[in-house]
Amino acid sequence: MAIDSGSQEQSHKSHRSPHSGAKSNKKKNKGDDQKQHNPKAFAFSSSVKAKRLQSRASEKEQRRLHVPTIDRTTGEPAPYVVVVQGPPQVGKSLLIKCLVKHYTKHNLPDVRGPITIVSGKQRRVQFVECPNDINGMIDAAKFADLALLLIDGSYGFEMETFEFLNILQKHGFPKIMGVLTHLDKFKDVKKLKKTKQRLKHRFWTEIYDGAKLFYLSGLIHGKYPKREVHNLARFISVMKFRPLSWQVNHPYILVDRFEDVTPPERVHMNNKCNRNVTLYGYLRGCNLRKGTKVHIAGVGDYSLAGITSLADPCPLPSAAKKKGLRDKEKLFYAPMSGLGDLLYDKDAVYININDHFVQFSKVDDENGGVPHKGKDSDVGEVLVKSLQNTKYSVDEKLEKSFITLFGKKPDSLLQAPNGQEDAHKFINQINDEETDDSDEETDAEELDGSEISDEDNLPDDPTTKILDSDSDEENNDALEEQCPSKNNLTEHIEFHDGRMRRKAFFGDDSDHDHLKDSVEDDGSEDDDLDDGSSSHSDSSEDGEDHRIDGLTEGEMGNALKWKASLAERMMRQTVNLEQLVYGKSGTMASTSNEAQASSDDEQSGDDEFFKPKGEGNKKLGGVDGGNVDIDDCSKFTNLSSLKNWKTEELIESIRDRFVTGDWSKAALRGKQLEATGDDDDDAVFGEFEDLETGQKYEGDLKGNNGDDETHKDDDTEIEERRLKKLALRAKFDAQYNGSESPDEDTDTDTNTNTKHGGKVNRSQADEGFFDKLKEEIELRKQINMAELNKLDEATRLEVEGYRTGTYLRLEIHDVPFEMVEYFDPYHPVLVGGIGLGEENVGYMQVRLKRHRWHKKVLKTRDPIIVSIGWRRYQTTPVYAIEDINGRHRMLKYTPEHMHCLAMFWGPLAPPRTGVVAVQNLSNNQAAFRITATAEVLEFNHAARIAKKIKLVGYPCKIFKKTALIKDMFTSDLEIARFEGAAIRTVSGIRGQVKKAAKEEIGNQPKKKGGHPKEGIARCTFEDRILMSDIVFLRAWTQVEVPRFYNPLTTALQPRDKTWQGMKTVAELRRDHNLPVPVNKDSLYKPIERKTRKFNPLVIPKSLQAALPFASKPKNIPSRRRPLLENRRAVVMEPHERKVHALVQHLQLIRHEKMKKKKLKEEEKRKTHEAEKAKEEQISKKRQREERRGRYREQDKLNKRIRKNSGD
Amino acid sequence: MGKIVYKRLKGSQSLRQRLLLSTLRSTAVLIEDIRADETWPGLRPHEVSFLRLLEKISDDCTVEINETGTKLKYKPGILMGGKHHVHDCGVSRAIGYFLEPLIVLGLFGKKPLSIRLKGITNDSRDPSVDTFRSAALPILKRFGVPSEGLELKIESRGAPPHGGGEVLLSVPIVKNSLLAVNWTDEGMVKRIRGFTFSTRVSSQFENTMIHAARGIFNRSLPDVHIFTDHRAGLQAGKSPGYGISLVAETTTGCFISVDTAVSYAQGGEEGAIEETDKKELMPPEEVGEQIASGLLGEIEQGGVVDSTHQGMLFLLCALCPPDVSSIRVGKLSPYGIETLKNIIDFLGVKFVFEPDQSTGTVKLTSQGCGLQNFSRKFS
Repeated sequence: MAIDSGSQEQSHKSHRSPHSGAKSNKKKNKGDDQKQHNPKAFAFSSSVKAKRLQSRASEKEQRRLHVPTIDRTTGEPAPYVVVVQGPPQVGKSLLIKCLVKHYTKHNLPDVRGPITIVSGKQRRVQFVECPNDINGMIDAAKFADLALLLIDGSYGFEMETFEFLNILQKHGFPKIMGVLTHLDKFKDVKKLKKTKQRLKHRFWTEIYDGAKLFYLSGLIHGKYPKREVHNLARFISVMKFRPLSWQVNHPYILVDRFEDVTPPERVHMNNKCNRNVTLYGYLRGCNLRKGTKVHIAGVGDYSLAGITSLADPCPLPSAAKKKGLRDKEKLFYAPMSGLGDLLYDKDAVYININDHFVQFSKVDDENGGVPHKGKDSDVGEVLVKSLQNTKYSVDEKLEKSFITLFGKKPDSLLQAPNGQEDAHKFINQINDEETDDSDEETDAEELDGSEISDEDNLPDDPTTKILDSDSDEENNDALEEQCPSKNNLTEHIEFHDGRMRRKAFFGDDSDHDHLKDSVEDDGSEDDDLDDGSSSHSDSSEDGEDHRIDGLTEGEMGNALKWKASLAERMMRQTVNLEQLVYGKSGTMASTSNEAQASSDDEQSGDDEFFKPKGEGNKKLGGVDGGNVDIDDCSKFTNLSSLKNWKTEELIESIRDRFVTGDWSKAALRGKQLEATGDDDDDAVFGEFEDLETGQKYEGDLKGNNGDDETHKDDDTEIEERRLKKLALRAKFDAQYNGSESPDEDTDTDTNTNTKHGGKVNRSQADEGFFDKLKEEIELRKQINMAELNKLDEATRLEVEGYRTGTYLRLEIHDVPFEMVEYFDPYHPVLVGGIGLGEENVGYMQVRLKRHRWHKKVLKTRDPIIVSIGWRRYQTTPVYAIEDINGRHRMLKYTPEHMHCLAMFWGPLAPPRTGVVAVQNLSNNQAAFRITATAEVLEFNHAARIAKKIKLVGYPCKIFKKTALIKDMFTSDLEIARFEGAAIRTVSGIRGQVKKAAKEEIGNQPKKKGGHPKEGIARCTFEDRILMSDIVFLRAWTQVEVPRFYNPLTTALQPRDKTWQGMKTVAELRRDHNLPVPVNKDSLYKPIERKTRKFNPLVIPKSLQAALPFASKPKNIPSRRRPLLENRRAVVMEPHERKVHALVQHLQLIRHEKMKKKKLKEEEKRKTHEAEKAKEEQISKKRQREERRGRYREQDKLNKRIRKNSGD
Repeated sequence: MGKIVYKRLKGSQSLRQRLLLSTLRSTAVLIEDIRADETWPGLRPHEVSFLRLLEKISDDCTVEINETGTKLKYKPGILMGGKHHVHDCGVSRAIGYFLEPLIVLGLFGKKPLSIRLKGITNDSRDPSVDTFRSAALPILKRFGVPSEGLELKIESRGAPPHGGGEVLLSVPIVKNSLLAVNWTDEGMVKRIRGFTFSTRVSSQFENTMIHAARGIFNRSLPDVHIFTDHRAGLQAGKSPGYGISLVAETTTGCFISVDTAVSYAQGGEEGAIEETDKKELMPPEEVGEQIASGLLGEIEQGGVVDSTHQGMLFLLCALCPPDVSSIRVGKLSPYGIETLKNIIDFLGVKFVFEPDQSTGTVKLTSQGCGLQNFSRKFS
């Protein structure tokens, strides 16, 4: 466990408050100070204090502000995504089920995929359960608008929660709410209260003080209490969401429906062929333009083969009128859970009818004996049965199934473990069986498409395919089979509660042991709770469903065409101009060069004969741009066709374009657009090009001299618009400045600002920079909306793309079959749009910090898995740190507690994007999985990381101050590169590389005939070096960052398998059982220093001769025996002995005398010195005084001079 | 890994813009059939020079040209910008040819760009540097480009055929992205300014031009000031020439410009040499009158920019954040149309046209592609 060090923390000495002394007195005084009880205690007593408080308050106010961001979304917002996350077995699914039940009164048997729910008049919510593996968590963090973190209260925090929090923080930090479950495990009320408190505070430290933590107190009949779920739902429905910068700038879709639309023949031919899939979901973030590439998380980058906007399957109540079935049933959309009663597609609508209402004979054959409740067969059913009995050959079936969407796999029932897959195939098979006969007619009709509009009126619509979704039992069976196996899997590594739990410990977590005791088995009865009791849709085929049918795409196309033809008549000129610019085809050609190329061909076909080759393409110019080699020149002034501007009438014609002209007429000029656009609709564009037009209009103007009325009209219109804008702005201000009162009606009705009146005034009063900024943004938004709403639907789509909040069907071709094969509805699919330039790969520099809970430092060039933007990929970073001189120095390992730079290769993400790095993806790993967090700084193609390098050489020949150095370089070429480089020896003698050593000077080959050795450099030093010196050249070398990245294809493999990418060096060593290589030189050894033996001093003979005798070495030959003088014993005479003793005595006396004298002198000197020091001090003092006086004088003088000069 | 997908294009048309857009969009392009059928096939010297210029200001971009020069592979790198660049533009096209893409590129670089361009400053084919200074730079300011650091300094002038001019361009970088504009009111012309230049000819030529031009304007506007810029010695470049550039400023801050220059034939063009060698140069009175009429023609056409700057205006609109920009221009120039085509090709930004019958102008509306300055370092 990562944090368990907290429990054994050392005890600090506790604070002892002073009982006596100044401090305690002060405190005592403070305690009984009467001022404290003053009712006006917090009024200002001093102006300084008031000022300080005011500045503090305003500072706080400013700190609260954020840079306002423009919200470019228009229309209905997409449902907000509520991600429910938590460790396993904490009650995520149950919470979603309870919430769904609360909103829709439906029992959800199983939570699979996103579930869209209408939660209020203006709000829809999409619930998603976050999968438990780290990949799923990363993806979920990217699309979450609100994250509900479920925490097992009886157990405490687990690592998943913190991992998810970290991921969220780096990918935008959406709103977060904690939910404590399993609180019924506590028997002791006091302990419960304490635990709540403790968990709350820990939660707050992680997010912010006051973050909402919800308590679900326990289960009643296997569900959370209604009241608490209600409260939670209320909180969710009034939540305000803030825009997250990455999400706002990129379109993305959380896929809530997934289908394989590969032609069945292809699958039949080759089971592993690439598939075509369709993905459905609400568009979020920003508008999706045509031609945008998308990244499917866990699969890869794809270009969209087709985008279609479909009718909203779960519209808001206000919009839902007249469309679809009754509102009651439309509150709810979850196709992956098999629960949406309506499925829209491009060319069909599917109605799911519950098996309670429809029963078919063939079903049980397919189903492997799903029990049917006995029901009397009515006439219709008999008819259907009889129809089903007709046999068709396989070929015919295949032909028909071309239209029906799903391909079927023979081994589906055996293989696919996931329920949804099953369900799809299941539906498929039934579908084939059922609709075979009826398809006969419908296919033909559908194929030519033109008759679809006629089918509008038919009461029993043949295109409406009836799907049976009684696959619930089947799914649950499959699930139940799955569950025990999972249990078995985790059984052997179980730590707690039948599964491994990774508990997060903290310093204040003192009583976790007690809490652990009270944990009980919570059982798994949730799973088979809702098995049989699912009643969600009735098969009422009322007259309305043909309306739904009217929304199918074919219809849409027709309607648009019809509208377009109307519009065409209206604005023919526009079309003409558009054709002129964008080519003949009205639709946007993705690559206009093809069109150009073709037109080029036409041109050349005509002209080739009449022009000499080479000149053919020249000088054509023209507006059509048919020439591919047209001259590239921006200047366009045809000076040849100039008019004679000296003539009076010509000058008159543009008189109003000058300030000297008529201002009112000139003001009118711009305003004519709306007025004239409508009435003269048959004016061809050719006339527009005519330069005389202006003149013609001039006459027109003269016609109505009394144009004041129109002028005024215009003015009033402008005024009106301005007022409208102002009102809107005021409303906006009021909403955002005022209290955080939840108001759900954010429609653009201008008249609702009355209730905010008071606040408007206030906000206008203290208008600052911030308000101005917000106002500008709002104005910008209004302009955008006004401009875009003027356009008709088709052009708007081309100009701005699909709007956010529309339900889209994306068709993607050639995805690997594994995506279909291993598709698992429990893992939501995220499709993110790729921004400009983000599909390119390159080097990125990020500022990275190892997570403090991750146990190890990271090693340079060890692969890590990073999540940037929508992507997840494995890459090999090189860590670096910026030196003081701006150099990026490579680091072998990340610093322990510091940020460092990391550079790696991969698909580029714009600067400021958050990055989460993970090293290990496996679920059964105990420690904290988030390895590091980072932020993109820049991208840079030239990797600029350098590392220090030391070239070592040894002298091979030494001249005076020059030496030849070997082994430093390997070739003469290398030396040439390093000429002039600074070197130094170990002893600190500096030098310089000169040139490669020439052959003559000492670089002779050892043997005759051998080549001179390469790589010997001639260097000079500031002093003579020794042969024993080592010479170093210190240099910096560029470090190559590996060009490696490996996208994580987790969606292309079974979800329970851990993705395996490149291994780290340590893992490889472990796998291959290799020891860590050790450089012997790097080991520390006891230092052995030999005593240095110097050679005896040798003095040359000539020098010796010149020396004076005293300095001459006396070369006394060593004798074997000591001299005779030394050897002999001296025997003294008695007299001599006496004399000798006397002399010795005398000498002793003298020595004593001298000693005494010395001592006395010493003493004298000391006293003298002390006296001297004293004197010196005094003199110093005097000098200082003197100096001070002098300076003072000088200063005074200066001042006086200054004053004089000032006057 | 590392497989580059090239966008395939054909022909030498609007090569400048294609390269510019491909750099901004960072898509690699492969252009084939560059003047494949002509007697002098392949890239022209100025195009090669432009490619070199791109290499100079960007990092890790690769350019491959086949032997005949008819095929070009270009993989853009990251725009670096930076100081103390020097580029010789050659004498086949004027500096104006390089300036237009360079300014836009400079905005989206990592560091502010300052570059010294050498070559022909004024000629009759490309917009002159005076026009750039007086008309193009104000357009940029409209789009939220910081005005400090945006500067074009004419160190010395050079006329064709031998050039010898030198300008110092400095472009700041945009912090994040441009700002969308709503620029449909062209306003009324309140003043006319201009520059004349003369190199290696008598300075009297300039006075003559000014006199002639003023003669045309006198009846419409009194506020006309045309400055003279006579260069001599080293600053005058290597060949004689004279010219004039006029700018009309309107009440709403639009700048409408025309310019021309008169000199002996351009060196680079083959075939043109013998044709124009004997041609008499246009006398200065005619030049003055012609250019003044040209300006009046541009004013009559309407629009917030003149036809020369349409392309740049469209490009800037397309590079805006995803807000709606609306602009008004007069008759669409061929170059403007070409630009629109390239924009939709590379950026997918479509313009909506609203022709105004009464004034003969077109209002164009578009939503920008949301390009941000990604090469900028975030710290």
